[in-house]
Amino acid sequence: MPLVDISKVTKSFGPTQVLKGVSVEVERGDVVAIIGKSGSGKSTLLRCINGLETYDDGAITVDGMDVGEARKKKNLRDLRRNVGMVFQQFNLFPHLTAEENVMLAPRVVNKATPGEAKVLAAEALAKVGLSDKAGNYPSQLSGGQQQRVAIARALAMRPNVLLCDEITSALDPELVNEVLRVVEALAKEGITLILVTHEMRFARDVGTKLVFMHQGKVHEEGPPKELMAKPKTAELQQFIGSAH
Amino acid sequence: MSDFSFWVILSNLLLATRWTILLSLIAFVSGGIVGLALLFARTSGIGWLQNLTKGYIEFFQGTPLLMQLFLFFFGVALFGLEVSPWVAAWLALTFWTSAFLTEIWRGCVEAIPKGQWEAGDVLALTYFEQMRYVILPQAMRIAIPPTVGFSVQVVKGTALASIIGFVEVTKAGTMLNNATFRPFLVYSLVALIYFALCFPLSYTAKKLERRLYAAR
Repeated sequence: MPLVDISKVTKSFGPTQVLKGVSVEVERGDVVAIIGKSGSGKSTLLRCINGLETYDDGAITVDGMDVGEARKKKNLRDLRRNVGMVFQQFNLFPHLTAEENVMLAPRVVNKATPGEAKVLAAEALAKVGLSDKAGNYPSQLSGGQQQRVAIARALAMRPNVLLCDEITSALDPELVNEVLRVVEALAKEGITLILVTHEMRFARDVGTKLVFMHQGKVHEEGPPKELMAKPKTAELQQFIGSAH
Repeated sequence: MSDFSFWVILSNLLLATRWTILLSLIAFVSGGIVGLALLFARTSGIGWLQNLTKGYIEFFQGTPLLMQLFLFFFGVALFGLEVSPWVAAWLALTFWTSAFLTEIWRGCVEAIPKGQWEAGDVLALTYFEQMRYVILPQAMRIAIPPTVGFSVQVVKGTALASIIGFVEVTKAGTMLNNATFRPFLVYSLVALIYFALCFPLSYTAKKLERRLYAAR
């Protein structure tokens, strides 16, 4: 059974259908890169996986948990403990230091003691290479550093799968690589990743699966290198052409 | 008539001012507590609860405080309960204050970017945990100046309690006027006392606002 199983999911915002029967299977350890033009529904799809967004029809299960069911019962806590997410705009808590940002959820949600949470935070911050910034507030960090703290914050919950929603899109070009390097290291560790991204080279080199979305549907999917070398459809070919 | 020297008038007014201060403090604190509870209800995302709080706020913001005082003073008596002016004033001012503070604070909560809620969501925090650890600590910063500013309204609002027989500084002024027939002197002093109470508050509010602005 796939770790994340998205099956025939539809979703409309008012009269506009943004997801028109999307199915994607994500196995444990996969690094899935979702690409596509803006408005193709890729971010919405990602946000459906952890219940940030509702879907109208179809089913999503994560590690056997039915997302729609959990949303209906207003019990998303177990699901979200297992699904980490990093945003384009970092969304760090500005009133807390880097370390406190990372410690908050383990403390509050997993009832870790302050000591345990501190250890978790130290581990997570070390993993993103920011051990020396533990005491800094987000406003004292660069965009790249903030995003790495956001990754550490998600990792501290030890999620089964990490969702990344265009996490380098808000960064200055010279800061993109330090974030991508962190994500690549996570991929090598075997963490399951689903990324909505515009970084085509990264998708090709690190991804195990490429999903090209077009007009609310999965237009093409497959191994990234193959797909990029020989796109089957004109749309993907055009997208790859325009992206680089 | 001239038994009442200036100093006698002033000292009597100042004695009554204690009750103005005490009533203001109590109303502000209990209004704040009720207001905080209402804030949670108002921003909970639960439809009926939000509508209920909205109705409550509309009612207390949309009717004169004086009417509310009358309702509590005379209304509760209908249930066979004896209500002292103290209790009626305390209750009316508490509800009135809570309605305004809830609205002020709701604005501050809504000023926090949506991304902060989402970050809390994806970390599996509940609504209460999001409020407690993420939203309120940030909202509080922006809430302090308007909250301190509103405390001025509470102080002035206590003057209305004089009408149901609560002897605070306004009521004391009325009584002293009846005895001395020197309304201009008496009420000038009363006004000065209110000003002395309120000016430091509004001054502090303005200072806090400026400091907050500079910190941004």
